[in-house]
Amino acid sequence: MNFVSDLRLALRALSINKARTFLTMLGIVIGVAVVILVVAIGLGASKSVADQINSLGTNLLTVRQGPRRIRLTAVGRAGSGSQAANRLTVQDARVIGQLFPETISAVAPQVRGNVQVRLAGVDTSSSVVGTTPEYVSVNNAPVSLGRFFNSFENEGSVRVCVLGQALCEKLTGSRLTDLTGRTILVNRNSFLVIGILAPKGAASFGPDPDDVVVVPLTVAMERVLGTSRLDQIGVSCVTPEVMPLAQQQINALLRIRHHLRPPFPESDDFQVMSQTDLLTRSQSVAQTMTMMLTAVAVISLVVGGIGIMNIMLVSVTERTREIGIRKAVGATPRDILLQFLIEASIIAMIGGLVGVVLGVGSSALLAKIAGWETVISPIALVLALVVSAGVGLFFGIYPASKASRLNPIQALRYE
Amino acid sequence: MEVAEEDQVDAHADASATGPLLRLRGITKIYQMGEQELLALDCVDLDIESGEFVAVTGASGSGKSTLMNIVGCLDVPDAGSYQLDGVEVATLDEYELAAIRNRKIGFVFQGFNLLARTTALENVEVPLIYGRRSNRTELAQQALQRVGLGDRLEHRPSELSGGQQQRVAIARAIVTEPSIILADEPTGNLASLQSEEIMQIFQQLNDDGATILMVTHEQDIARHCKRQVAMRDGRIIEDQPITERLRASEMIARMREPLPGSAGRR
Ligand SMILES: Nc1ncnc2c1ncn2[C@@H]1O[C@H](COP(=O)(O)OP(=O)(O)OP(=O)(O)O)[C@@H](O)[C@H]1O
Ligand SMILES: [Mg+2]
Repeated sequence: MNFVSDLRLALRALSINKARTFLTMLGIVIGVAVVILVVAIGLGASKSVADQINSLGTNLLTVRQGPRRIRLTAVGRAGSGSQAANRLTVQDARVIGQLFPETISAVAPQVRGNVQVRLAGVDTSSSVVGTTPEYVSVNNAPVSLGRFFNSFENEGSVRVCVLGQALCEKLTGSRLTDLTGRTILVNRNSFLVIGILAPKGAASFGPDPDDVVVVPLTVAMERVLGTSRLDQIGVSCVTPEVMPLAQQQINALLRIRHHLRPPFPESDDFQVMSQTDLLTRSQSVAQTMTMMLTAVAVISLVVGGIGIMNIMLVSVTERTREIGIRKAVGATPRDILLQFLIEASIIAMIGGLVGVVLGVGSSALLAKIAGWETVISPIALVLALVVSAGVGLFFGIYPASKASRLNPIQALRYE
Repeated sequence: MEVAEEDQVDAHADASATGPLLRLRGITKIYQMGEQELLALDCVDLDIESGEFVAVTGASGSGKSTLMNIVGCLDVPDAGSYQLDGVEVATLDEYELAAIRNRKIGFVFQGFNLLARTTALENVEVPLIYGRRSNRTELAQQALQRVGLGDRLEHRPSELSGGQQQRVAIARAIVTEPSIILADEPTGNLASLQSEEIMQIFQQLNDDGATILMVTHEQDIARHCKRQVAMRDGRIIEDQPITERLRASEMIARMREPLPGSAGRR
């Protein structure tokens, strides 16, 4: 039997009970669409995390408080919120910046916290970064409007600030409003806006990096957050190649300064991380999530396959007489097997194709409407199609072989 | 039993040098119904030559259908030997049996057994598809023309009368030009005029050289054939040529004659 007539036969059989064929297909359609959507979201998330981290610069090391100590700090660490757990000091940052000129070009000590921001009656919560002018180069954060504060303003505790565009939007309704020259309240302290940061781009994980107000370190520590410890120190290395060395130097220095005893790194109260460390860490989170969701999607694909098997079994029973007739006029077991296998595969393949269209479409829709970054991988498409065809074949085999083994006389007498 | 077999072989040795088309010896079929054993066929011996037109008659339950199914390679006997065209059927596997059913046998059932939702033409094409034949549409059309349905190619079974459905089934049986046409009560579901029309087709086919073995329990239908084999309780009790043979064409003419207002017709 040639392929075209096989196909025609299968399509005719499937068109006889359209509603049933459609419902059977639906299982596969949804399975494939969900697989594609989930993979697209997962890849999109990994990519935007990567973009975000890379946007900070590849020479950047970040010194943070150590992972070993319990963090007692709660949201908005007011008063003596950061206790013994965080021992990074401004002095630490200064020494790191001075001691290793051959490997380290600049340091940007930072304190961070959540604040209330107010402008002309509009109240919103945002995050504050208190830092030094080196922040611009170390964290790759240029201004798009106005200017960043200088070291005089920093050391003199002048109350000036630079805003991220997302915060501008929250305050005024537009990212592009020029707020320079206006005065805003940050935790009830008035600040003169002197610049707007260039956008970093929205993140699909974590807080929006553009929803921020940057103020001089001294002001942040004394007036806004009331803390004597740093949350992190951005360290800019001379070249990417010296980063491991710089990492070792910082480790050694801080261990002495903090009077730490071996074993290291177990007793460290700080950690030095490169962008690659951050990248792998947050990507592994994204990957775990993607994998879990994909597993769910694959299970739904298998459920769809069982649906196919169920319908094919019903179909074999219903068409017992037809099988008998076909055998009586010379169909071999292989002919019958093929007939039912092709039917099952067509259900799965058409379902797979529709699922691909649906998956790609909904990914695009999600990107457009929700603003999530989604990445359609061609491998995921091909895989989804192959898997759905495979599901059709696999779950079609049992009913098909059952049909092919029917005894012609019994089949003809059926009913 | 061996002696009887040899006798039979001798008796037919002169009739044809190549042997009969169909040769059954000691064919036995037993149905197991729980504790009971039911002897559906009891040592049936039968020879059919090429070109014969044989009617199998007998009471209900006498084993006619069982015999036809075995001859049609749809069922296998529990004992005995069955040779078709000199080939011992018992030695064949599933695939070879399928090929025999496809090429050497044309089966016509009492209940038509056409594929539903499938046109007459496509129904007739089915055996050609499994026989991997080319120019299927052309052959199927010719077969349908031979049974007088050249103008019903695109009709589905539900759009055809019983007689027409049976003619489609006959077209399907003859389209592969089989060695033998087997028909199990082909007129069983039909009124007398339709039955005569079916018999007319069979007689025409037989005149053209086809070998036909058909089951009927109507004596009137059996008399259209050339030879009658009567069965009872799974045995052949009578096997004789038909002397006063009926011609279906004459019967049809006679049936139509007395109808008022039919004078204008041919
Ligand atoms: N599948 C089966 N299982 C058990 N017994 C069967 C089976 N098929 C047929 N028989 C029995 O075998 C005997 C012969 O049946 P068969 O169908 O050959 O009769 P028949 O001569 O064709 O009758 P009819 O004229 O009614 O069609 C019957 O007694 C029947 O009950
Ligand atoms: Mg019968």
